[in-house]
Amino acid sequence: MGNNVPAFLLEKPASNDYRRGGGKLRSSFLEKGIHRLADVVTTGYVQWETAVQDSFFQKIDARIKVFFLLFFILIVSLKKDIFSEALIGGFIFLLVVISRLNLLIFYKRVLLLAFVFGFLIALPAAFNFITKGEIVLKVWQLPKAYSFWIYRLPAEIGLTREGIDGVVMLTLRVANSLALSFLVLYTTPFSEIVKALKTLRIADGFLMILTLTYKYIFIFARTVEDMHLAKKSRLVRQVANSEARGWIAGRIALIFRRTQLRCEEIFKAMLSRGFSEKIRMYEGRKLKTRDWAVSVAFLLIGALFLWI
Amino acid sequence: MEEIIRLEGICYNYYDQVPAVCDISLTIGEGERYAVIGANGSGKSTLLQIMNGLIYQSKGKYFFRGHEVSEQSLKDKGFLRFFRERVGYVFQDSDVQLFCPTVLDELLYGPLQLEIQAAEALDRAFEVMKMLNIENLKDRPSYMLSGGEKKKVALGSVLTMNPEVLLFDEPTNCLDPRTQCFLVELMFALSEAGKTLVIATHDLALVDDLHTQVALLSENHRMEKVGTSEDILQDEELLLSVNLVHEHMHYNGPSAHKHKHSHYFFHKH
Repeated sequence: MGNNVPAFLLEKPASNDYRRGGGKLRSSFLEKGIHRLADVVTTGYVQWETAVQDSFFQKIDARIKVFFLLFFILIVSLKKDIFSEALIGGFIFLLVVISRLNLLIFYKRVLLLAFVFGFLIALPAAFNFITKGEIVLKVWQLPKAYSFWIYRLPAEIGLTREGIDGVVMLTLRVANSLALSFLVLYTTPFSEIVKALKTLRIADGFLMILTLTYKYIFIFARTVEDMHLAKKSRLVRQVANSEARGWIAGRIALIFRRTQLRCEEIFKAMLSRGFSEKIRMYEGRKLKTRDWAVSVAFLLIGALFLWI
Repeated sequence: MEEIIRLEGICYNYYDQVPAVCDISLTIGEGERYAVIGANGSGKSTLLQIMNGLIYQSKGKYFFRGHEVSEQSLKDKGFLRFFRERVGYVFQDSDVQLFCPTVLDELLYGPLQLEIQAAEALDRAFEVMKMLNIENLKDRPSYMLSGGEKKKVALGSVLTMNPEVLLFDEPTNCLDPRTQCFLVELMFALSEAGKTLVIATHDLALVDDLHTQVALLSENHRMEKVGTSEDILQDEELLLSVNLVHEHMHYNGPSAHKHKHSHYFFHKH
């Protein structure tokens, strides 16, 4: 072997110092994208960590939590006044606190999504050209009113009391629904949620696909991150965006090919462990007295909110 | 022996929460064969990735040839080139390392990155293929290679850059005995050619074969001991404490006895 070592491998670097300068390396879109993908794994890990904590909501059976989620989302949709929505919001806040979730992270996510998908979407409805009513804040004065087909633009444009109520109502509904969903997601391991969906008579085959998909998103994210590190270890200069795009295209093709091969291997592994047409998933543990007590309490609280 | 790598109190946590390595300090000399050993999950691969500047320590300092290696210093184009052309990394999973269309493209990628003339880069690629006996694979895509062939191509893709330091992550994992033997011989040849070899492994036979300096990591991700392979491998109590060997029970008729066991100690394989 010794004699086979090529001559160039015996060459030593000319200097142990480097030529300074040449500018700073900018993070490429590729690097940023990969970091975002790596966040998927981190987020998944953090969610799992909070879901297995020994706190109030975490200890409740996932089936009860799924029914709680559906029941309360129904209540949130049925209520038609801001006061009731605010009360439900307060109740969810209490559950978040006693479940020892990070309030800042939790409400940052809820409020951001509620702002985009609730407030911003509903905002035009606050104006008098959509919702008629008493103008509480005048925004614009046009020289005259304009009419086009069935639409009418009044001369005085402003926010109406009825419109603002509608926007606040919709934003609160979206925020409460999101908070309920995140509360269940952050306090229940994903595998338990999938098992709980079985009680809603969702087909086992679909649940199996859901489980495998969730699992392989993580494997995929890790593979992409590892590939990126392997490339980074051989990278000695700034990569042009066109070059980075070429690399991504190559990686997509390779991952597609590997996914196909992995899919075949998984199917063989399933066959070897007795897979046939019928998928049978483990039902999980029996409900405890505490689960029943909590579900009765949630039912009573829900009924109270409906009655208010 | 001139110092080439120095780690001072290195710590790294995954997800900013799970400790991977804690307070690791070590020095590696030029041309040395150095093994980082420890049980699964002790932080060997993490340490190697830090040494290659792929991830950055949360605490402590890392020096390569006296220059500090950090996220900041690797943003300097001059230093990035200096560092990357001198430190090569052979990943445990060869699949992630092979990202070019064919074997020949893999071997050319590094030299072309270093802006070496195409003719010289080709010479390097063919010489390395000859050394690794993979000339017949040059036009194959990586997914059409066996595990041993992938490992050879991954190693070749690093060698064509002619690095001073070669970091090997679990190099003998999943390789058949013949390829393992080939790899050990190759490592010796590279060591004799003046390369510094750093190997993360739990293969005690490999450590013994290569007569390395050894850093032993404990299961709580700390440095347990640094010494020669002879010192470390003969200390069975120490290896037992870090779960690199285990107590084995034998049944002889109605009686049973326990002794410390590893395939390396008892069967030399």
